[in-house]
Amino acid sequence: MRSNRMGWALLAPTLAILAVVGFLPFLYVLYVGLFDWNPFSNQLGMQWAAVNNYRRLVFDGAFLDSLWRTGLFAFVSVSLELSLGFLLAQTLVKNFPGRTVFRTLYVLPLVMAPIAVGATWRLLTIPGFGPVPYFLDKWFGIDYRLGTFADQAFLTVVLMDVWHWTPFVTLTLLAGLTAMPKEPLEQAQVDGANRWQVFRYLTIPMMMPVLLTVIFIRLMDALRVVDEVFMLTSGGPGTATQFIGIHIYRAVVPKTDYGYGSAMSLLVLYFTIVLCWLLFIALAQVGKQRE
Amino acid sequence: MFKHKLTVMLGILVLFSMVLSGCAAAVPAAQPAAPAAEGEASWWKTASQSASCEGVTIRGISESTPPSNFARETLAPAFQAETGITVELETTSWDEMYNKAINDMQAGTGIYDFVYIEQDIIYQYLANNYLVNLTQLLADNPNLASPDFDFAKFTSFIDNFKDADGNIYGVPMEAFVKIYLYRLDLFNDPAIQEAFAAEYGYDLAPATTHQQYQDNATFFTQYGADNGLELWGTTVQGNTGHASSFYEFFESIAPTFGVYNWGINSENWKATVENGGGMNSDAAKEALAFWVGLLQYAPPEATQSTWDEVAASFAAGRAAQGWVYGENAAWIATDPDRSKVVGNVGVALPPVSEGVMEAAADGSGYIGYYDGGSFGLPVSSKNQQCTLLWLEYIGQESVQADWAVAGSRIVMESTYDDPKVQEVDAKTDNYYTLMKSEGPLFRGAPPFPFHSALREVVQPFIWKALSGELTAADALDQAAAAADAELVNLGYGQ
Repeated sequence: MRSNRMGWALLAPTLAILAVVGFLPFLYVLYVGLFDWNPFSNQLGMQWAAVNNYRRLVFDGAFLDSLWRTGLFAFVSVSLELSLGFLLAQTLVKNFPGRTVFRTLYVLPLVMAPIAVGATWRLLTIPGFGPVPYFLDKWFGIDYRLGTFADQAFLTVVLMDVWHWTPFVTLTLLAGLTAMPKEPLEQAQVDGANRWQVFRYLTIPMMMPVLLTVIFIRLMDALRVVDEVFMLTSGGPGTATQFIGIHIYRAVVPKTDYGYGSAMSLLVLYFTIVLCWLLFIALAQVGKQRE
Repeated sequence: MFKHKLTVMLGILVLFSMVLSGCAAAVPAAQPAAPAAEGEASWWKTASQSASCEGVTIRGISESTPPSNFARETLAPAFQAETGITVELETTSWDEMYNKAINDMQAGTGIYDFVYIEQDIIYQYLANNYLVNLTQLLADNPNLASPDFDFAKFTSFIDNFKDADGNIYGVPMEAFVKIYLYRLDLFNDPAIQEAFAAEYGYDLAPATTHQQYQDNATFFTQYGADNGLELWGTTVQGNTGHASSFYEFFESIAPTFGVYNWGINSENWKATVENGGGMNSDAAKEALAFWVGLLQYAPPEATQSTWDEVAASFAAGRAAQGWVYGENAAWIATDPDRSKVVGNVGVALPPVSEGVMEAAADGSGYIGYYDGGSFGLPVSSKNQQCTLLWLEYIGQESVQADWAVAGSRIVMESTYDDPKVQEVDAKTDNYYTLMKSEGPLFRGAPPFPFHSALREVVQPFIWKALSGELTAADALDQAAAAADAELVNLGYGQ
């Protein structure tokens, strides 16, 4: 009983801070989402709208498009990061000359702020000045213009995310691989299993908790991506890279549509929570199977 | 061992930072403002003391432009020396400036004591009572009314910052026109003139019609390609993810085709032709098709260019002609550290469709954008009296000439006659003279209280036209329909 009280007492400051910076703003957004509130509309102040903002969401093509685009971006970038990350982790787990230097250089993008990543890629890719369009044109005859071609912009944004976050995936998976017991692998090899079989039936299942955790973290990050994409393409050309975070930013900040923006934020939060919950269940299932 | 490694690493870091510091460009010392007479200096001191402002810090926010940078680097230190009031002026990107200022004023936080008010946003601010009535504030504080400050000395541009009763809410700090710049060295080259005449059957000259502009653009793009030059026929402020492209189209290009006020009918707040608007009119579609068509004659960075990059592209000698904001004219034409076309910048009125020049002359239309802004005092400011002194300080006649030279901006009639301005005028192909004589042909943005909300709805369609996702006609049809719907949402044009 006393230890319970002590536990709550120790947790109290954290809970208080969470309530102030997390729960109260959430309630406020929930409240604002029930109003039409644009300071630059003809009706000043907040006008009661009940669930109208949520109804608008269902018919808002631009919102639904940005949601779909975000899902596609998250799927493609996280898949690439996982594949590359796993490959590199398996390489780095072995000893080879220059491994330490490579590992140090390789994780450098990880320490960069997303806004700096966006700025760096912008400088690299701006036509007329950046090296990427120059060499693509010189070597392959590719007309590379992020502001003009939607597919190039989307691909570049994915590559930027992969460049930024694959080191994180690699490091996490490397930790998992290093901690993995070696005996079952050696035993399987003695029993005649080839490398693919070892990988498919031993490495992957044994790494599943780590993999799911990485997917969990990266998926959450990818779904809320804003700053580096905004810096690189501002969501363009047109709306080709306008992911949900940028869409909400535009609605709330320049457009000052606070009510509708709040409704959008809450819906996206809901989707994110559902996704987290599904991943959590998967993670728990894996845990049970292992037991 | 570890200690040794740490020492070596720290040593390398220190060495690296010293090298970096050595490589940094020398920051020019702030120029002193025009020397004030002894009596004037004592007036500022006395006024500052009477309002208990000595030692106070006032904070402002503005876009990072030549005029704002002059205010931050030159006027603010001079004002501090005179009054003991520190001015912290944050100069940032255009988007960020508005986001921060509006959020501060909406929440009433009082972070900023003065904010940049662009001519086109003032109506939003007035509708929300964000700003202090400066006319009233001066009347209420006669001890703070500088003898060197007078609203009557400003050009008629100050009328943009008045309410219906004539009260003033902003002290103009910049005003300029978005002008047609062209390369004098190219346009005056006899060999080029001959080649152009042979190809098009008429003489090469700054364009007065859209067809001529396009011919010039086509010719110089081909000329650049034929001669292995990084030269294109025109600039296009065509960023496909930034509001700058919306502004270039609706405020600079569309008016030259006779489409005014973004194509919105201010009587019923409608944009579609079927509802009495003009956003998707034939003239507007022709204008958008013309402008989007110019992309093929523009440098490859055009679809990522805002107003800053357009000025930079022109200054880098990458375009033969273009619509460029006038605040950049002086540095492009005179600053060899930043511009490759010093001494080769020609200035002219933009090309227009038939009847547009006449409409502009009689006041029923306009040929382009008269841009500018003022510094205003938010109601939420906690240092209103001290900020009033700052606003009066920047509104003195004595500081205007240096400011005009640094930022190609003029807000007072008397500035045009200053010898310093006349000297730069000669170097900029008489940009200032043109602004003075032809300025009335240009006009600021329409007085829409819903300015940014509507822009956010319309601009994606312009971006899609620029990236080729939509044709000009489809883009404007969809944009106009979306504008009609949004205006209803905002409580206009039910």
